[in-house]
Amino acid sequence: MSLPILSIARRRAYPPRTSQFTAPFWENLAAGALTTTACACCEKLTFPPKPICPHCWSSEVRWVGLSAKGTLYAATVIHAAPAVFRDEAPIPVCVVDLAEGLRIATRLLVIPDAPLPALDTAVEIVVLAYEDGPLFAARPVAAG
Amino acid sequence: MTEVAIIGTAALPVGKHQSPPGSDGQVLEHEVMARLITEAVADAGLCKDDVEALVFAQCRPYTLQKYFSTFMAHYLRLPCPGVVMEVLGNGMTGGYAFDRAADEVRLGRAKVALALGINFETAISAAEHANSSMRATGDVDFHAPFGFTPISWYAMDAARYIHDHGSSREALAAVAVKNRAHAALNPIAQFRKPITLADVLGQPQIVSPLGLFEVPPRGDGAVCLVLASEAVAKATGRPYVLIRGRGYYHEGAHQISEIPNDMTAFLAPRTAGAAAYADAGVTAADMDLAEIYAPCTIVEVLASEALGLAPRGRGAQAAVDGETRLGGRIPICTSGGLQSRGHPSYVTPLYSVFELAEQLRGRAGDRQVANARLAVTSCELGNYNAALVHVLEAKS
Repeated sequence: MSLPILSIARRRAYPPRTSQFTAPFWENLAAGALTTTACACCEKLTFPPKPICPHCWSSEVRWVGLSAKGTLYAATVIHAAPAVFRDEAPIPVCVVDLAEGLRIATRLLVIPDAPLPALDTAVEIVVLAYEDGPLFAARPVAAG
Repeated sequence: MTEVAIIGTAALPVGKHQSPPGSDGQVLEHEVMARLITEAVADAGLCKDDVEALVFAQCRPYTLQKYFSTFMAHYLRLPCPGVVMEVLGNGMTGGYAFDRAADEVRLGRAKVALALGINFETAISAAEHANSSMRATGDVDFHAPFGFTPISWYAMDAARYIHDHGSSREALAAVAVKNRAHAALNPIAQFRKPITLADVLGQPQIVSPLGLFEVPPRGDGAVCLVLASEAVAKATGRPYVLIRGRGYYHEGAHQISEIPNDMTAFLAPRTAGAAAYADAGVTAADMDLAEIYAPCTIVEVLASEALGLAPRGRGAQAAVDGETRLGGRIPICTSGGLQSRGHPSYVTPLYSVFELAEQLRGRAGDRQVANARLAVTSCELGNYNAALVHVLEAKS
């Protein structure tokens, strides 16, 4: 099942680099799937995806899909933004604990100027389809 | 191993010193640094020939003179059998310089070593500077594209702390009021005009829930500390400060742990602090004051809890109740802290040691903590993912 894909009519302000290894993450994301790597030996997940398992240092990792559901662990609105992000400020961002037991940091989609959602609120990950490639973001499930 | 003492100090008042590029009459970093070195060595009662090692905090990239340490060894004609080097470690940079210089003395490679540095950056705008600093606190490919800034991580700590411990932005803001009251008494502080809680709460938001007075200003600064073997310190016949204990811990995470944990528990200063107290044979309750590297109000609260200076979840309330103010149970950041003393980042930990050296030698004037004997200082990098903690003791 594909994640919601929201079109954003601009280019990414600070695009991520991709490597031969991380390219599948961004390709999967563009196609509507949040993925990462799991260790073939110790079975632990990692985020971001890594070619070596950080837990047991095995090089045998495989790509797995994530539910893209979680809870809002922490959030802030960045009013004083770096120069490259100046035209996007204020920027809501957050830390999300995914259902699989992974903690990630990402954009937070909220109504402009509305109070931030309460922490521990259920959130989902959505795809932001910029003109030059994808990013992802979290939004309260109720807003879906 | 050799016991290490702090016997001389000099520091530039924190403020805007850096000249805009291309302007006439430039303030040059090496000229400022050279003057501080001579002042600090004179303060120690030593002379040039006594200096045997130089450990610098690396300069900001905005300082044109590169390989600053070896340049300065030439500029002041300082041949050294101990190391001449510069170190780098984000906000911990000055702490690493202090620690590494102490090691030279501890290992007997130098009887006298300087821990020093100069951080000039204010000619570069905050937004331009943030284009660089956003790459220092997070994953360039998986965090930076969202717009995270160094202090945005602390702001999220604040949100979580308020949520988990029933605290409030008002309680956190009390830290900023307290620190400004301390800075009012510190001649080298960047901002010295007293402020009220209403002043703090009325400032524009920078990273919610934190406003302008709850985050660090940008500033230029420079510090030189003279470290020596205790034998050299005793021979001076002057009061000195002994490094009684030291602890370090890196939690193996950068900003956030991918495995969910209690982000505001600050494992690194908790672990490093316990190690430093054990090394010194003391406990947190023995401390007379603390100087904590805390860019934002929330960071002082969390680090003070991690260092055992306040119970978990009660650090902000301790500021509200005046426990961390001069005259309180455990004065914290008598310098004014990073919000008001100022935060020339790469040398900020050297300013912390400078303040404790003033206090423990009874030279802190109107902000002197009465009968100060033992003090703790910590510095950090990331979202306190690593901590370096020292316990210092007054000797005379």
